[in-house]
Amino acid sequence: MMAAVGAPEVITQLESAAKVLMAPPSMVSTEQRQHAEHVFLSFRKSKSPFAICKHILETSKVDYVLFQAATAIMEAVVREWILLEKTSIESLRAFLLTYVLQRPNLQKYVREQILLAVAVIVKRGSLDKSISCKSIFHEVGQLISSGNPTVQTLACSILTALLSEFSSSSKTSSIGLSMEFHGNCKRLFQEEGLRQIFMLTMEVLQEFSRRENLNAQMSCVFQRYLALANQVLSWNFLPPNHILFATQNVTLKPTETWREALLDTRIMDLFFTVHRKIREDSDMAQDSLQCLAQLASMHGPIFPDESAQISYLAHLVEGLLSMINGIEIEDSEAVGISNIISNLITMFPRSVLTALPSELFTSFINCLTLLTCSFGRSAALEEVLDKDDMVYMDAYDKLLESWLTLVQDEEHFPRGCFVQPAIQVFNSYIQCHLAAPDGTRNLSVNGISSHDEEEINELQEDDRELFSDQLSSIGMLGRVAADHCIPLLTSLLEDRVTRLHGQLQRTQQHLMASSDLGSVDRKVLDDLYEDIHWLILVSGYLLADDPQGETPLIPSEVMEFSIKHSTEVDINTTLQILGSPGEKASSIPGCNRTDSVIRLLSAVLRTSEVESRATRASLTELLSPQMGKDIVWFLRRWAKTYLLVDEKLYEQISMPLSTAFGADTEGAQWIVGYLLEKVINNLSVWSSEAELANDTVELLVTLVEKRERANIVVQCESWWNLAKQFASRSPPLHLLSSSVQRSLMKALVLGGFAHMDSDTKQQYWAEVLHPLQQRFLNLINQENFAQISQEEAVKQEIVATLEALCGIAEATQIDNVASLFSFLMDFLSSCIGLMEVYSNTPETINLIIEVFVEVAHKQICYLGETKSMKLYEACLTLLQVYSKNNQSRKRSDATAEEDQYQDLLLIMELLTNLLSKEFIDFSDTDEVFRNQDQGTPASSRTVSAADVVLYGVNIVLPLMSQDLLKFPSLCNQYYKLITFICEIFPEKIPQLPEDLFKSLMFSLELGMTSMSSEISQLCLEALSPLAEQCAKNQKDSPLFIATRHFLKLVFDMLVLQKHNTEMTVAAGEALYTLVCLHQAEYSELVETLLSSQRDAVIYQRLADAFNKLTASSTPPTMDRKQKVAFLKSLEEFVANVGGLLCVK
Amino acid sequence: MGNTQSIMADDDFTSGDSGASATYPVQCSSLRKNGFVMLKGHPCKIVDMTTSKTGKHGHAKVHLTGLDIFTQKKYEDICPSTHNMDVPNVTRKDYQVVDLAEGYLTLMDDGGETREDLKVPEGDLGKDIEKRVASGENFMVSVMKAIDDEHVVGIKNMTS
Repeated sequence: MMAAVGAPEVITQLESAAKVLMAPPSMVSTEQRQHAEHVFLSFRKSKSPFAICKHILETSKVDYVLFQAATAIMEAVVREWILLEKTSIESLRAFLLTYVLQRPNLQKYVREQILLAVAVIVKRGSLDKSISCKSIFHEVGQLISSGNPTVQTLACSILTALLSEFSSSSKTSSIGLSMEFHGNCKRLFQEEGLRQIFMLTMEVLQEFSRRENLNAQMSCVFQRYLALANQVLSWNFLPPNHILFATQNVTLKPTETWREALLDTRIMDLFFTVHRKIREDSDMAQDSLQCLAQLASMHGPIFPDESAQISYLAHLVEGLLSMINGIEIEDSEAVGISNIISNLITMFPRSVLTALPSELFTSFINCLTLLTCSFGRSAALEEVLDKDDMVYMDAYDKLLESWLTLVQDEEHFPRGCFVQPAIQVFNSYIQCHLAAPDGTRNLSVNGISSHDEEEINELQEDDRELFSDQLSSIGMLGRVAADHCIPLLTSLLEDRVTRLHGQLQRTQQHLMASSDLGSVDRKVLDDLYEDIHWLILVSGYLLADDPQGETPLIPSEVMEFSIKHSTEVDINTTLQILGSPGEKASSIPGCNRTDSVIRLLSAVLRTSEVESRATRASLTELLSPQMGKDIVWFLRRWAKTYLLVDEKLYEQISMPLSTAFGADTEGAQWIVGYLLEKVINNLSVWSSEAELANDTVELLVTLVEKRERANIVVQCESWWNLAKQFASRSPPLHLLSSSVQRSLMKALVLGGFAHMDSDTKQQYWAEVLHPLQQRFLNLINQENFAQISQEEAVKQEIVATLEALCGIAEATQIDNVASLFSFLMDFLSSCIGLMEVYSNTPETINLIIEVFVEVAHKQICYLGETKSMKLYEACLTLLQVYSKNNQSRKRSDATAEEDQYQDLLLIMELLTNLLSKEFIDFSDTDEVFRNQDQGTPASSRTVSAADVVLYGVNIVLPLMSQDLLKFPSLCNQYYKLITFICEIFPEKIPQLPEDLFKSLMFSLELGMTSMSSEISQLCLEALSPLAEQCAKNQKDSPLFIATRHFLKLVFDMLVLQKHNTEMTVAAGEALYTLVCLHQAEYSELVETLLSSQRDAVIYQRLADAFNKLTASSTPPTMDRKQKVAFLKSLEEFVANVGGLLCVK
Repeated sequence: MGNTQSIMADDDFTSGDSGASATYPVQCSSLRKNGFVMLKGHPCKIVDMTTSKTGKHGHAKVHLTGLDIFTQKKYEDICPSTHNMDVPNVTRKDYQVVDLAEGYLTLMDDGGETREDLKVPEGDLGKDIEKRVASGENFMVSVMKAIDDEHVVGIKNMTS
């Protein structure tokens, strides 16, 4: 349409549209703005706009219009590439470059856009070799040597634009071509063009680094070339035959052809020189350090042999040391320097590191030690000042991580070479975390300590998580220097505990005199708590690891340390210190001859004891819940590793450790009893501190989840008391939050599977589980239950029972599932009865469904056929009752929607859990139930998972409104569920009632077209099994008709719309099966599309492309090989004509 | 610790309902989201519950946000987690709708007792009730009661 109008009119129209877009929001209406946007959009889509664009560029004075003209050229060149003469493309490129050169005063964004167009042309041309890169580098080289800063800046812009276009990253313009194309361009470029850019850049940097005085304009040019160098060194080199997507933190892995360029020591020296020159400019310093960091990460085929690598590294380390030594590091250098160190430690093989001249290696390690300590101190200062940008903290983290890497590979290095550094780094960490006078915590530069009471909300992570990386490194260094660090921690902790004890006693006396808690100065106490907090965290990380899911071992360094000193140790004194946490360690005779590892545990037990005694003296208000958490966290971590140490797992074992904590020792029994008392005390005293109660109950779970430990636990009287107390719901356990109560129930059930003689076992279950059942049955069997059901006490009893059932389900393990399943099944049917009684109480209904969710989640994978069926039946009944009670129910209260959302989410979770059996099934034809199910014929199958799930979907579907789908978790769960169903039970879909079927199809369409790409992909994945199902059956079912509709949708999506490349595979698979099913309709779609093309050239291209697309799979059949062939052709198809069709 | 004493000493669910108090105390930390609590004298459903502490070694405080179960107005409160809060006794009961006159409903419970003291609620729910009564439909309503207030909050079809 533009073509029909004369050039001056077009320019006027565009200029006035630009005016609208640039006007302040108050001056123009939304419609005007939209119209203006539309003007530009359709201008950019107009056919062959080259002449008019040139004209605009030469005449218009409006920057925005110039920008749009450049964009239009770029888009049109790509779109019409095959139709254009190569010479006219060439002249267009020359025109654009000259245009920019002749107009040094162009707005930056206009200039960059024009250069982008040039870069895109060069890249597109590199495919059919129509445009050579060489000429452009020659031109740029000339620009650089001009010596004119403006021209040099322009040259840099050209190179940067080329780099971005060829990098095949997110910065690259999308030009509708396959990743294959982008990959090929990139590979070609990195062998030739990229290296030319690098060499040109090096010349410029060399030139500038020689100059004495740089004026502002020149240093600006310098900065741009430095940034360019950084980009080159951060290039994500593509290996042959591989298309990689750019990732973050790319390491430098150049190809062999780069040897000459990068192994030249002068290049590295140049970067050190450049950094020295500009290090006070924080922006430039970041680039120069990043360049060095990239050089420090260099690896791969560029090194011809190890000796080349060694001399490269030696040169790097020498340069680094001479750069760092003798300067005072700027704040802005900290992160960069730590990156260089971290990269070289991670990337260079240990053999290369150890091959460094030993003096150089020692200097490097010493330098690293000093830097780490110094960054650590600066990081602590940053925390005091509460800075937003924690540069030293980041740098410190990086260096600590590097230490971890080094000491984990300790065996490669000279023996003991890390001990002294480890001591220094460890000491400085401890010092930064202790209060004055021993430490420097909270001291600002002028030595004044600050003490502020900020509000901390529950979302803030605990230090043990927040600083887990730092603590792991420090713990590891502590192990390396165990001789120093373990006794140090012990003496510091013992000292703080003694002081805490004294301070609490003084406060108690003070309170007796004044009894006003407000008059207590908490500063001294809080300082002690914070010291103890860090000492316990470091001790925990030093003594034990916390691997997820496997049995943690005593770290070998700790074991060796204990063995090494075992001859000097007096076992009895050690046990005495361990067994008397109420006494001061130093008051015990011979206390210097104790095992240090046990002594450190004893120090924590002493802390624990001071805390427990304070609670008994009614001083809970003065205690720190944080310290309480630290104590139980430590004890749990410790117990997992040391308690009942299994000698078989170790080559050698320390006598003190095995005597104190081994199986069948008094020590182990004593400590289990002690921990149990601690747990019981905490649960009654700290019910109001949810996190502490949670950590406490987790300690209890740890004690019973391993059979060996549980065997000792159940011998303790206090365990039985706890069980009885909980079963009778007597105070104070009922004050605990519901999640803690659940875990407590879980622990009590786990304990029940410990070794006991059968009488005891029977008695235990009679104390723990039967009261639960009894109370519940007594209650619901009361004649007037329906009347009293709404009474608060009754409701609470019911809720407590339901919570307990969830806890019981959580305790499921493969060896107890048989008995727990039977026990829970009895409840499940009663729970269904409760659904009726509490149909008006949404929070109770919610909890009932949750019980089913938990049982299905924890048990279904172990259940054999007959048991599964029982569970399916129960779930089906539950859903039926739920559905009946919610039919045409209307509620007006504000939380009605939220309640329903909760219910639906749980129901879908339940259904997904039931379906998961199709993927994860540990049941071995009822093996875990052997001797139980005999005689039940498998053929009497009454309810299948499919029945339950489809019935559930029946309930869920009508309730899933588009509003509800706005809750992301609900939306995800919903689509996950329906995709599962389509994949697992495609044969059930055609049998659905009409309404249900329609809404399912609508959901799929909605998910495909208007949801996130993740959900769109799920829906596409659901289509193939549906189409395959259809192919097996009659051809006139509603599903058959629906799939025809989906064919059109997927076709449009792939061919006509710009879609996510990740989706091509899922969409392609769906398209192929749909094409198989509806070949005639597919041909029709293609015909319609072709007949709408007016342009003969485009028509032919499209027709060819469609022929090629199906050539390998004609006639299409549902055969894997053909499908793969189709998918391959589809990729080419999208690359060939995808861009062409996107233009309308 | 004074506040760990039993707050449920009369934990006996067979006691009659006539003497039940309007509220009962619960330790703040054991309240739960979606449960009920009295905020600033109003019976509320808890829609948000977060904890915080003053200083790293401070004790937990609970921030409660609730909606008045009848007016849907929002109320908030902060309370140390060891303290007790009042929880209203909230009951829900279904009645069959018998008649509607001058804005008041005639309702019958499952024991056959009728009452005429409840107003037709405002808004869509009220309109729906009026429409159903006018068309002679047989249906039930849910009535929620807490403290001294009682309101119709929902519609339910007759379950046979």
